[in-house]
Amino acid sequence: MSEEKKESCETQSVKVPWTGYIALAFAVVFFSGLLASQKGWITAFDFNALAGKFGVMKDAAKATFQGQGGFGARDGFMFGFGLLPSVMLALGMVEIVDHLGGLKAAEKLLTPILRPLLGIPGIAGLAMVTSFQSTDAGAGMTRMLRETGCITENEKTVFCAFQFSAGGTVTNYLASGAALFSFVTVPIVLPLVLIFVLKIFGANLVRLYLNRFEKESV
Amino acid sequence: MAAEQKKTLPDIFVEGAKKGWNVGISSIIPNVLMAFVLIHALRLSGLLDMLGVVFNPVMGLFGLPGQAVMVLVGAWMSMGGGVGVAASLYAAKILNPTHVTILLPAIFLMGAQIQYMGRLLGTAGIQGRYYPMLFGISILNAIISMIIMRIFA
Repeated sequence: MSEEKKESCETQSVKVPWTGYIALAFAVVFFSGLLASQKGWITAFDFNALAGKFGVMKDAAKATFQGQGGFGARDGFMFGFGLLPSVMLALGMVEIVDHLGGLKAAEKLLTPILRPLLGIPGIAGLAMVTSFQSTDAGAGMTRMLRETGCITENEKTVFCAFQFSAGGTVTNYLASGAALFSFVTVPIVLPLVLIFVLKIFGANLVRLYLNRFEKESV
Repeated sequence: MAAEQKKTLPDIFVEGAKKGWNVGISSIIPNVLMAFVLIHALRLSGLLDMLGVVFNPVMGLFGLPGQAVMVLVGAWMSMGGGVGVAASLYAAKILNPTHVTILLPAIFLMGAQIQYMGRLLGTAGIQGRYYPMLFGISILNAIISMIIMRIFA
């Protein structure tokens, strides 16, 4: 241990990439406040300018805790913080649906239609339902399906094309998308349905391509 | 197992809500904050207006102002980022509710591809030669979604 320390003390000549000096110079200017009194485009490189302002209660009857007229990091933080209640509610409900077997029901309903829909075997149903909740878990399960020989290489590619566009669909839509739901002019289920339709459409383009040009020897 | 069965529905809900809190703190807030700072920096530097002018003809095809291209760029890096850019442009009155509605499905369809390249395609072991096709299809999906949403919005 002590020898290691010694070594690290002796190897003092650190190699600095040229970007290091530029970054340091930038940091000095960025945090110095020297640009704060400037006007125009140069203020985009000032720490305080980017930190921004919290909104204020301009119109107390309409303003939320985020306030109105804020900008920069401070406004972004308040906006992001304001999303948490709906995210927590959405994921709480998803957890209950999962607990009561809702996802198993979805898996069962999906199984017989996977072959006509995407050309992949019904056994991929669980991986698909999982991929709606978590991109990472879905990817891991897809890998296992291939390793155990449940799906072919081409089927894996088609399945991944399906997962790649709008990955973690349901969780991401309910969690991140919630930020925009209050401005949207259509029922929020409509964009979600469109997302699913296009996921299937895109995966089928890959399916067509592979069937035509890269037929697997069975 | 016995303890598992004793969980009441409120307990289960709270578990999910905790997951929501963690997603919010570790992913949504940092991404949204990044997007707000990015948009603010682009505004201060005048680049946002410039992007608006340059991309106006392309984004106009979908009934969107040129600045909306930043929503798609942000989404490509992270879905939370795309949503944050959209919210920030909405707050700045550059996007209206119709624009946000047109953009919503596209944010997800081409969302977080930079991250998912490793987390999904890498994990699942997809052959590198298919990557461009899969990226292309996601972007095509996003384009089609904007054309369709324009009708509904």
